[in-house]
Amino acid sequence: MSELLTALGMVFSWDVILVVLGASLFGLFIGAIPGLSATMATALLVPLTFFMDPLPAVASIVAATAMAIVAGDIPGALLRIPGTPASAAYTEEAYQMGQKGFLGQALGVNLLCSATGGLIGVAVLAGFAPLIAEFALSFTSDEYFWLALLGLSCAVLVSGGVPLKGALSMLLGLMISMVGMDSVSGQVRFTFGVSELIGGVSILPVLIGLFAVTEILRRLPEIGRDVIPQVPEVGNPFRGACSLMWKYKGGVVRGGLLGTVIGALPGAGADIASWVSYALARRFSRTPEKFGTGHPEGLVAASSANNAALAGAYVPALVFGIPGDTITAIIIGVLMMKGITPGPDVFTTDSTLVMAIFLVFLLANLLLLPLGLLAVKSTRHLLALPTSVLYPLILLFCIVGAYAANNSLLDVGLMLVLGLLAYVMTENGFPIGPMILAVILGPVVESNFMRSMIKSNGDLSMLFDRPIAAALGALALLVWGSIILGSVRSALSQRKNGSGDGKAGVCSQ
Amino acid sequence: MRINDWFLGLLLAALGVATLVAAQAFPTIPRQEYGAGTFPAIIGSLMTALGSLLVLSGCRQHMPFFSWHSKVSLSRSFACFAAVIAFVLAYLLLTPLLGFPIVAPVLLALMIGWLSGGRWVMAVSVATVMSAMVWLAFAELLHVPLSLGVLEEVIY
Repeated sequence: MSELLTALGMVFSWDVILVVLGASLFGLFIGAIPGLSATMATALLVPLTFFMDPLPAVASIVAATAMAIVAGDIPGALLRIPGTPASAAYTEEAYQMGQKGFLGQALGVNLLCSATGGLIGVAVLAGFAPLIAEFALSFTSDEYFWLALLGLSCAVLVSGGVPLKGALSMLLGLMISMVGMDSVSGQVRFTFGVSELIGGVSILPVLIGLFAVTEILRRLPEIGRDVIPQVPEVGNPFRGACSLMWKYKGGVVRGGLLGTVIGALPGAGADIASWVSYALARRFSRTPEKFGTGHPEGLVAASSANNAALAGAYVPALVFGIPGDTITAIIIGVLMMKGITPGPDVFTTDSTLVMAIFLVFLLANLLLLPLGLLAVKSTRHLLALPTSVLYPLILLFCIVGAYAANNSLLDVGLMLVLGLLAYVMTENGFPIGPMILAVILGPVVESNFMRSMIKSNGDLSMLFDRPIAAALGALALLVWGSIILGSVRSALSQRKNGSGDGKAGVCSQ
Repeated sequence: MRINDWFLGLLLAALGVATLVAAQAFPTIPRQEYGAGTFPAIIGSLMTALGSLLVLSGCRQHMPFFSWHSKVSLSRSFACFAAVIAFVLAYLLLTPLLGFPIVAPVLLALMIGWLSGGRWVMAVSVATVMSAMVWLAFAELLHVPLSLGVLEEVIY
């Protein structure tokens, strides 16, 4: 009880509240502008979190991402342009509702279901994470090695596109993570004589390069091409939305739970959760023929799922230090910069902080309603903002942000190089999600692997000696087997037009 | 921008081989067969193997070495890439000499003016105000030592 009171005191301090409000408005701004994703909002926030205490740092990211996902629904309903990839699954449905004269109701349902889904996610996170953490306290380097490897393999498997390219993207991420001093032997590797790289490649330029610079490179040539149509008037969003949500309450709860579980899977984030939830709602609907014509059933389930997935992704991130998606990969990076290593120990050594993080989630999801309403009312002005001004400003912010962590111009150069690399990769069907997860998980995989090797005198079979490690190892090998099999099959059965044509998603939300 | 997979696979496989070779040079832990080079050797081997698979896959695609599928023309896209690269490089080279307060607004104004089709008054005003805000936020509030360059002598 005293822990809860302390956590409440931490959350309801003026600096955390101010940070949550500021980050929420930033998230609404980024999410409402088509093309700017929640992951980009997070990457742009990280330089500022560098100067904050751990709780406000995490609170800012939690608030900004929740708001960005909700705000992404707004241009989808108004203009049929999803603000973030997480809204894409039900954009058509929301837009069609607007065309039938229920625009306010569509946006109201989006807001209410997002908040409810988010709260379901928080409840699952707060209820299950401490239990799993207690169980995970007995884990050794063997289990952590397999768990991290499983996280990487799932990221490759669900990243979309050709698994071979997902695996190569992951290996590139692991290579980046190997730069600098080896944590086990102290040997300096792959620094090419640059002393600034001895501590490794800083996570900040990697994040900004992969998620912000790449997006600028993709969007900049399109400036002036697409004219944003006239934004229609929106009535009271909450009129009739509550009764509609009550009518499909089963879908809301199912979407929330499903979203949380999908979010907890490494590599799968809010966008995958909303697509799967929409598809399942259609599958179990009594009126599947109405889907795609402005029917709220799918909208309800999917908008509940994508916000729930945000909380779900924190389960493996906080309990094991294994990110569930790109955003939690960034959170882990931020916590590590603050000297906190996420894992089961955090639940005993920093239990107040963990409880405060749960409360921040609660607060952010409750704030979705008033701030979401504000976003609906101000979308007209946000969409009128010229992108010819916005993107150069984001680029300057990227440069200063990349520089801020280490006051190093080398980081700015790295940011540019990684941004160009990620651009070429996404244009050629390589997903970026596995790469960023590998940069974060690389040291975890390597150090635990080396510890296990030292313990066992190099006997690899020792990695399977403990029952949980053996189960995790078998699962990881199974996933890797399917990835390798899929890669070989796709390489051998490649026809003239090839299956690797499509661009891979940036795995952003 | 689509580059044939065989070329990308070749680059990645070459990177894998280079990593594998570099890994051999790292010393092992005393009285053990493994050390700082073990993990890089595994990653290098996997990269070489999967890169080779991509080469094989690319060879079977019979696609052109380079193709452009975007709605935007190649020249426009390359101009934008060049602008971004020039922006960052100019910042890297000029900021230590001239300082953030001069370089940032000039670069911003040039880019906004070009992208907005010559609305220079708007570009200069926005660039000046936003650079000042970034300076206030990062240099004054967060104490990030953004370079003053030549202005350092003027101010101090």
